[in-house]
Amino acid sequence: MNRNYFFLTVLMLVLAAGTFFLNREPEYEQIKPEKLLYDIIQPTRYVTTDQVARFIIDKDPTLELVDVRSAASYDHFSLNNAINIPFDSLLSPNYQDYFGIPGTKVVFYSNDDILADQAWVITRRMGINETYVMKGGLNCWIETIIQPKEPPEDAPYTAFELYQFRKGAQMYFTGAKVDNSVVKKKKVAVRRKKKQKVAAGGC
Amino acid sequence: MGPLIPNGIITGNWDFVIALLLGIAFGFILEASGFSSSRNIAGVFYGYNFVVLRVFFTAVIVAMVGFLYFDYFGWLDLDKIFILPTYLGPMIVGSVIMGFGFVLGGFCPGTSYTAIAIGKMDALLFTVGLFVGIFIFSEAFPLFEDFYYSGYLGNVTLSDVTGIPAAWFAFAFTVIALASFWITMLIEKRVRKNIKEYKF
Repeated sequence: MNRNYFFLTVLMLVLAAGTFFLNREPEYEQIKPEKLLYDIIQPTRYVTTDQVARFIIDKDPTLELVDVRSAASYDHFSLNNAINIPFDSLLSPNYQDYFGIPGTKVVFYSNDDILADQAWVITRRMGINETYVMKGGLNCWIETIIQPKEPPEDAPYTAFELYQFRKGAQMYFTGAKVDNSVVKKKKVAVRRKKKQKVAAGGC
Repeated sequence: MGPLIPNGIITGNWDFVIALLLGIAFGFILEASGFSSSRNIAGVFYGYNFVVLRVFFTAVIVAMVGFLYFDYFGWLDLDKIFILPTYLGPMIVGSVIMGFGFVLGGFCPGTSYTAIAIGKMDALLFTVGLFVGIFIFSEAFPLFEDFYYSGYLGNVTLSDVTGIPAAWFAFAFTVIALASFWITMLIEKRVRKNIKEYKF
């Protein structure tokens, strides 16, 4: 009997028996606390409501909007093409496929920043990249996109540009009509030239 | 970490490069294991050479046990690997046909190409027959298309179907494989004693 065969047989049996002790429960990888802290203090995770509106209007295929509020709130109102993953179901295996898709940016939103921020921290701890938070949540969305306010007259030009974009976005999301009252028609004074009196008669 | 493509570590464009490298490695291992000889392969059915059984069983148990460890250490996510769909009835019938082909021809499709690579004439005839078989199968496919797609169980594993943890199957297969190694060694010794015309 070959001694090597005997040794390999025992080794294989031990390795096979060892698989009984391998825990196959899913354990989420966590990033290092230092890295998490660094990411938390960075404002780069925030996207503005204007940016989100632009993504939606442009039909950006890489955008994945995640509403972390309750299902009832989601049914009451949600952004276009958003999916509902209630905050307490964030770690459910049913929803894990929505995260970590290469080339996709996940944007969390809630009524304000708080719940979405917490969802962002959890997904970052799980090591999922490309997750963002909609700054100000739906409250800010209503203020800026659905009911935009006209900037004061002495505001810089960019503020008016932004306002024009928001008015366009408002029309896109609410179907509102163009507000003609904004553009007041100025009366243009027509100066008429006085007819010159031509000398009558000929030469 | 793995699987590499589903996890986005490398793109799907590497598919054919990886397939080429694996194909070369697979062919080399088949040849090195003596699978380019139809005598070695057919020997399983006559009881004088069980190298096929030993090589394939070794590959199965090493892969089974190894994958479970890889999954545990986080090197390979078993939930993301591709699992061939199961068509129960057609697969059983296909296996029986494959077995008959193995006994009659002394090769399976993969080993026949390794045998051609070292210039075996019988392998060349085998592959001609292989292509004739593929042609007949393709032309006659509408006749048994319904059967071909019957018994679909999905992309399931034994653990999914039975609910028994994968570790039990890995251990059971390992015990069966190791037992078969020792038993077939004894069978080989007995049978080879009575064979005079063939040197081992």
